[in-house]
Amino acid sequence: MSAVWRAARAAVRRRRFQTFVLGVVVMVSSAMAVATLGLLAAVSGPFDRAYDAANGAHVTAEFDGSKVTAAQIARAADAPGVTAVAGPYPAAVLHSPSETGDHPIGMSGAFTVVGRDRPDTPVDTLELGAGHWPTGPGEIVLNAPPSIGRLEIRSEHEVVTPDGVRLKVVGYASSAGRSAGGWVTPDQARALHPASLQMMYRFADAGSDSALKAGTAAATRGLPPDALTGTGSYLALKANLAKGPNTYVPFLTVFGVLGLIVSVLIVGNVVSGAVVAGFRHIGVLKALGFTPNQVTAVYLVMVTVPAVIGSALGSVIGGLVGKKLVHQAFFGIFGNELVIDRATVPTWVHPVVLIGMPVLVALSALVAALRARRLPAAVAISAGGAQRTGRGLAVQRKLGGSRLPRPVSLGLGWPFTRPGRTALTLSTVVLGVMTVTMALGISASVIEFGQVRNQTDRIQVRVDLNDPEWNPPGPAHSDDQLLALLRSLPGTAHVSARSVVETRLAGSPDAVRVGVESGDTAELHPDLVRGRWIEGPDEVVVSSGFWHRRGLSLGDTITLDSSDGPRPQRIVGETTDGWDVTTLDWNRFIPLSPVRRAQGFSVQLTEGTDPQAYAAAAAGTDPGLHASVNDASDTIEKVVISVVSTLTLMLITVSGLGVFNTVLLNTRERRRNLGMLKSIGMTPRQVTAMVVTSVAALGAVGGIIGAPLGMLAHRIIVPMTGRGTGLDLPDSLLRVWSWPAVALLALSGAVIAALGAYLPARSAARAPVAEVLRTE
Amino acid sequence: MTNTGGYEERDVVVRLTDVRKDFGDHAALDGVSLTIGAGEAVAVMGPSGSGKSTLLNMVSGLDRPTGGSVVVGGEDLARLGEKGLALFRRRRIGMVFQFFNLLDDLPALDNVALSGQLVGMKARAARERALELMDELGIADRRDIHPASLSGGERQRVATARALMNRPALLLADEPTGALDSRSGDQVMQLLTDLNRLGQTLLIVTHDPRLAARCARRVIEVADGRIARDGSVDGATGTVGAGVAGATGVAR
Repeated sequence: MSAVWRAARAAVRRRRFQTFVLGVVVMVSSAMAVATLGLLAAVSGPFDRAYDAANGAHVTAEFDGSKVTAAQIARAADAPGVTAVAGPYPAAVLHSPSETGDHPIGMSGAFTVVGRDRPDTPVDTLELGAGHWPTGPGEIVLNAPPSIGRLEIRSEHEVVTPDGVRLKVVGYASSAGRSAGGWVTPDQARALHPASLQMMYRFADAGSDSALKAGTAAATRGLPPDALTGTGSYLALKANLAKGPNTYVPFLTVFGVLGLIVSVLIVGNVVSGAVVAGFRHIGVLKALGFTPNQVTAVYLVMVTVPAVIGSALGSVIGGLVGKKLVHQAFFGIFGNELVIDRATVPTWVHPVVLIGMPVLVALSALVAALRARRLPAAVAISAGGAQRTGRGLAVQRKLGGSRLPRPVSLGLGWPFTRPGRTALTLSTVVLGVMTVTMALGISASVIEFGQVRNQTDRIQVRVDLNDPEWNPPGPAHSDDQLLALLRSLPGTAHVSARSVVETRLAGSPDAVRVGVESGDTAELHPDLVRGRWIEGPDEVVVSSGFWHRRGLSLGDTITLDSSDGPRPQRIVGETTDGWDVTTLDWNRFIPLSPVRRAQGFSVQLTEGTDPQAYAAAAAGTDPGLHASVNDASDTIEKVVISVVSTLTLMLITVSGLGVFNTVLLNTRERRRNLGMLKSIGMTPRQVTAMVVTSVAALGAVGGIIGAPLGMLAHRIIVPMTGRGTGLDLPDSLLRVWSWPAVALLALSGAVIAALGAYLPARSAARAPVAEVLRTE
Repeated sequence: MTNTGGYEERDVVVRLTDVRKDFGDHAALDGVSLTIGAGEAVAVMGPSGSGKSTLLNMVSGLDRPTGGSVVVGGEDLARLGEKGLALFRRRRIGMVFQFFNLLDDLPALDNVALSGQLVGMKARAARERALELMDELGIADRRDIHPASLSGGERQRVATARALMNRPALLLADEPTGALDSRSGDQVMQLLTDLNRLGQTLLIVTHDPRLAARCARRVIEVADGRIARDGSVDGATGTVGAGVAGATGVAR
């Protein structure tokens, strides 16, 4: 083995540069693989572990207490497949409760209070972070996720219900399934006029929505048909969290796969080149008594060593990048406290990549290494530098007779003499161009997404009202007066008023965020993915996130609590983003808001109006207003674009290195030809031109193939990312191409190839030739 | 015993004056001066490592001297840049090598035409001229054959035709028969002799005394980087081959 090791080391030394390229390529691919696998694992792993540890409820069901008794619910739950239950507990919904004390923690507009006698139930085991569990009437424990930090119990802190009942905050607890906003004793809950009974289940099979539906059906069999008013599934919470990593997973996966393919191609090219160039060397090894297995081993060791080093470095880099990405991915997502501290690249990823990449590299080298093994020693020694001929001869002849300058036509002929290498190089360029195209497409789509979301194309100025409690002074005018004031400002084309309230959706324990709008909404509404904008009373549009969570269709009716009581609302359209539900029924919904008035206005300006000056003028109409130009670009856009650009740069580098390597092999193999051409008077510039042409043509073909492939990949990835994040995306996100841009992208192949070829071409042009002309 | 005088300046094809070439501490050429006149056939002989190949590199402009001057065909090579040297090789000299150095991808005809195309001849004109030359050299019927399928002698004839494409002032031959069997070697020797008879100036580097005796009328022996002997040989005989006639158009 030491002989093999020594021969392999000598082979590595002779090919320092190729070894380096190989190491870098493997490093980049390994880093991408680790980061991608880390993110993929983060989609479900940390959540499942955290949720199971807290015995989180798989299904939280709400029953109408007037139609079914607690005893009936508990009896029905004794069903096969149900592994644990908690409840039923009386649950009341408080609309816009208030807080006393200096340190309010902020309460949602629809605040669910559940009556529970203890925290350590078999389902939804609560972690009491501070204080004690309520022991009598007038006490409440609030749901406070640990991410808020340590909360202290203060004597003056009370929750005041809309009916004026005062509940002293005696503790903080956190629920993995977010089963309630606060907990009181069952007796206290019954005094708050509970609308429903809350029951929580864990099932043996909880892997899918259908399994949960079946489990719920089994656990409620025999109960009156309309007793079950709503269910909430933990999968919705999980899906919501997965949105974060799912923003990155599709394109990281595609980039990762491309990286792997490019590595395999380059490894194959390097090793087959080494075998071809090392024919004589192989012959010598065999003549010295190396067995065929040892010869194969020499070539495998030669590439495996840089692959091991590359994958080790890549694994470390990928681990760091992956960890950052995973954290970034969950940043700012509702419910992230469950996973944010656990989310990291799992340990198993590292050995997989550390072993997998070198094995992959060795496999890609195997074909060429086996060729070295089969080669008879005598043939190998005598073959020397002789080249095979008889390939692409007709093409060579045609090129020789063409009007092109001879160095160019000679260069054009090169790819035809080594079809295998040409195919590998072409694939490398195709993948490079594909990546560039895809990356530009993704970036353009992300920018377009930001525009769609922020409506920068139709809303130029946003005017916000100060909240007198937090940021005095409050506005001096009423909403109608402000609307009129803004309309009268020069440069105003359209204005709408907006506010957001939280209310309750019948059959759902979660609060629904409702955007309430008035004014010129017909002109200022966001793009619709389907359906139409609101035209009549009791019509609403919903966001695609809400649409999918609820499994809605156009024409469906949902019942929302308004200030007039429950009101059925017909769904007429879907927007990509925005509040769960948007309504124009100002008078019925605005009283649910804590401030009971507009929170802001959106303004479209007439052509040629300076948004900066307009914003200043708008802010001047009332001391309680502040106005800003709507040119927001989101963090997520910046993150996605920077990640995509980094990956693209890496893949272009790798693809350029692939070309570099091919040209290096070609010029080494042809050094005698190059020497002869120089001896008959080819200038250094002509030599460079010839060598660059030999791959630039290939690059051009690669570009013509790669650009459409990149467009196709973009067409697949963007909707995939949309689905992964629960958003339906408008078609405009896919229409990001212009013909000149596509033409330029197709040309980029030639540019990548020319860049990769330039250095070896120039060094070939400068190399001394006298010696090589004299040797065989 | 260097031969530097006795030439009309217009007849001088090669003039080396006190040429020196060092490789590190080792002097491959150590003060070589020599003149070759138009129409001469000169053989440079010497053992391996004596400096004869280095001498050839100086004359062909493939390498630059450490000291002294090299003037070939009226061009002072020291004044030429890389591009200038390339253009000089294109127009002034033709080279023939031991291992032929043909492009394996191209058929014989295109290998020959290549030199013409480099000086700007149109493909058709270059091929016509190449075919004429190949006809003269008796290999016209091999025009579409690739080098790998030609015999050694045929390959060397193709290489010679290529060297003659641009009517060089000087034909440099580096061990032209070194890789050939004796019959092919004879053919090549005959070819070189015939070319010289037609006026082609020849500079042949060889180990082979037979080649020197047959093709050259002057032999320069190099030893340890110096010219050890420079004199004429007797018995450089031969007849003008039937195949070589006006088309070679040797430049005087």
